[in-house]
Amino acid sequence: MRAVLARYGFLLIIAGFFAFFSLYNPAFLTLGNQMNMVEGSAVLLILALGMTLVVALGGIDLSVGIAFDMGAAFAVVALKEYDASWQVACLVGVLGGVGVGVLNAILIVGLKVSPFMATLGTFFIGSSVQRIFTNGGGPISHRRMPQEYRDLAVGDVFGIPTEIIIAAVVLILYFIFLERSILGKRVHAIGLQRSAANVAGIPVRKYMFVAFIIASATCAIGGLIGSANIRMFTPLAGFSYLLDAIAAVFIGASIHPKGRPNVIGTLIGVLFLGMIGNGLNLMGLNFNLKDALSGLILVGALALAVGQKRLR
Amino acid sequence: MAHALLQMHDITKSFPGVLALDKVALSVRAGEIHGLVGENGAGKSTIIKVLAGVYKADGGSVAMDGETLGDVNPRTIHAAGVRFIHQELHLVQHFTVTESVFMGQELSGPTGLRRREMTRRAEAFFREALGTELQGSTLIRDLGIAERKLVQIARALIDGAAKLVVFDEPTAPLSSGETKKLFAAIKRLKERGIAMIYVSHYLAEITDICDRVTVLRNGRNVAVFDDILPDSADAMITAMVGRELDALFPSSNHAAAAQMLQVTGLAHEAFSDVSFEVRAGEIVGIAGLIGSGREELVDTLYGLRKPSAGSVVFDGAPRTFKAPRDAVAAGMVLVPRDRRHDGLVLDMTVSDNVNLASLDDISTALIERRKAGAEKAAGVTAQLDIRPPNPAAVARNLSGGNQQKVVLGRWLTRGAKLFILDEPTVGVDVGAKVEIYTLVEQLAADGAAVIVSSSDPAELVGLCDRVLVMLRGEIVAEVQADMLGIDHLVALTTGGQAA
Repeated sequence: MRAVLARYGFLLIIAGFFAFFSLYNPAFLTLGNQMNMVEGSAVLLILALGMTLVVALGGIDLSVGIAFDMGAAFAVVALKEYDASWQVACLVGVLGGVGVGVLNAILIVGLKVSPFMATLGTFFIGSSVQRIFTNGGGPISHRRMPQEYRDLAVGDVFGIPTEIIIAAVVLILYFIFLERSILGKRVHAIGLQRSAANVAGIPVRKYMFVAFIIASATCAIGGLIGSANIRMFTPLAGFSYLLDAIAAVFIGASIHPKGRPNVIGTLIGVLFLGMIGNGLNLMGLNFNLKDALSGLILVGALALAVGQKRLR
Repeated sequence: MAHALLQMHDITKSFPGVLALDKVALSVRAGEIHGLVGENGAGKSTIIKVLAGVYKADGGSVAMDGETLGDVNPRTIHAAGVRFIHQELHLVQHFTVTESVFMGQELSGPTGLRRREMTRRAEAFFREALGTELQGSTLIRDLGIAERKLVQIARALIDGAAKLVVFDEPTAPLSSGETKKLFAAIKRLKERGIAMIYVSHYLAEITDICDRVTVLRNGRNVAVFDDILPDSADAMITAMVGRELDALFPSSNHAAAAQMLQVTGLAHEAFSDVSFEVRAGEIVGIAGLIGSGREELVDTLYGLRKPSAGSVVFDGAPRTFKAPRDAVAAGMVLVPRDRRHDGLVLDMTVSDNVNLASLDDISTALIERRKAGAEKAAGVTAQLDIRPPNPAAVARNLSGGNQQKVVLGRWLTRGAKLFILDEPTVGVDVGAKVEIYTLVEQLAADGAAVIVSSSDPAELVGLCDRVLVMLRGEIVAEVQADMLGIDHLVALTTGGQAA
């Protein structure tokens, strides 16, 4: 029994909260609210997947928000100033994210700065650039954006919101890449024991370089959706996702049997954070309580994960 | 007969899928040095960890001085007077000897730390208990490894409450001169009435200093030797491996063919002007002490370090390996000396580790074919007799010898042309050693070139065709192995004799 508790402790907590919210407020369990909850988690999921890749490599990316912002900024500017088509705008936005990733990759792989410090530097630089570019942080709004672009956030396909579909596609791609492909196997090997991966002939530096770029490009996709949703680019908007993304990845790692960052775990972590936010909202409780609860539960989950290892 | 100080009875411990200890008994008498031997995976470390309270036994009892300990945990066992000298040193480089000895158990008075008193006690302990003069103000980084080991011992024993000290492979990193120094200290401790458990792979040491010896095999007691004679070693080996070992080394069936590697004037900070050749079907040894440049040479050949001068021709073409992947792509592979750090991804399975360098072979359009990988790993596991024979086992849980076989197995799946084996049998038990030697012989017989870099002279003499001797960054001798005695090789590596 104790073993079962330790193994599935976190999933039990999720189930417990789910049951609690459902009983407390019947509105929680309605299809509409559940859909809201999932849709509200889509952008976070995309950023958290980028973070999962970097953490699986043994790094951390504090600049996911900057990549998000660059995705939004480049796309909105392309639409507004250059009358770009929505496809070109999306491409340009993703390239904005690639730029952030290249900067990270050069700092980390080329100049051998630790991922934490390098991405922190990118975060500061990126934040400042955004403020300068927008004269201190004013949004760039674009009311008449093409409907196709707008639909990234508010459209639907066969009744399923586009956001969810985009997030699901990214999720599946990441799952295949990280958990099923030999590239992902190498990523995990590098993250677990870099020197051994190197001696085994894995081009560690190349993988690090490309992975940071992929991660940032992924975050930029989140930025596209974010800007389509509010029809503007809001400087520094991406920052709000950073800590949630880190939390989701580490929740996901803590429920993995070997404690590894993994795609499915990240999905569970994101949905969990979304459920807490949504449920507390419906309870009419102080929204500020959400972070405190998330924090308590995160720490609790990690404690459970440690207990689980001790039981073995 | 002295009374039993420590009595461990019917200790049983299982891990998922493995019965690590099966009703093992270990009894140590007061004042004796008790040897504990067995192949890797026999259960030596497990029973030591049970004694230390790191692992909780599934069954059995532990008694000190006739009193059964209810709960064996690190605190109760420390209170009972048991101390552990672990294989790793865990010393802070920039601390002084005194600071290191008293780390975590500092003496303090009304005016703060009593530095002078601590230094006096530490120096007195070294002089009286360990028979060596060490200044309390010396920095750890300025000490030799043997002296660091003594500091580690002093730290465990300075409180004077130790009754039983457990040494886990204390001499593994030591040269023979340093070993003598350590033994002198151990014998002094014995004179002071302290009992010891001595875990080692070196049977010569065991027969040299132990009073009694317990032999484990596959998690069971197989023998206890009450009288240790110089020729007990053979009987111990038989007990350890469960079969007679006529020879450690296989008979030679390989023959040198075309040139595989030609190194000319290779240089690096740690060595200069190194030139030699290796032929296909040949086993070439590199001998040299720590600091001779031997390790750096191996790393440079494999692309882990950059040479400052010189050229390498490998498999018929001039090569510059910028990274290991270039070497691997060309057909040169390395079994690194630090297998836990550089050889294996410890938290991955045996299967993943075996397939790590040949993932392309078990994938379709980059997607891993897990079944193919598992089958391949199962083949390697069976071929090399990796225990447990379970490709899904996590590499961390394997013993040293089996871990080494996994690293070797990885390269076997690629069919390399030159195998560089750096310290292939360090921390590997006798049984696995023989298997590794047989495998190396097989590789050479199949036409591969092999370089064995080793600090074990017997291994070089017994296994290799030629041995290059490195001393202070230069190759000072190149000797045919059949002309070479172990004493001669030791003399060459230590600079005691010119070639």
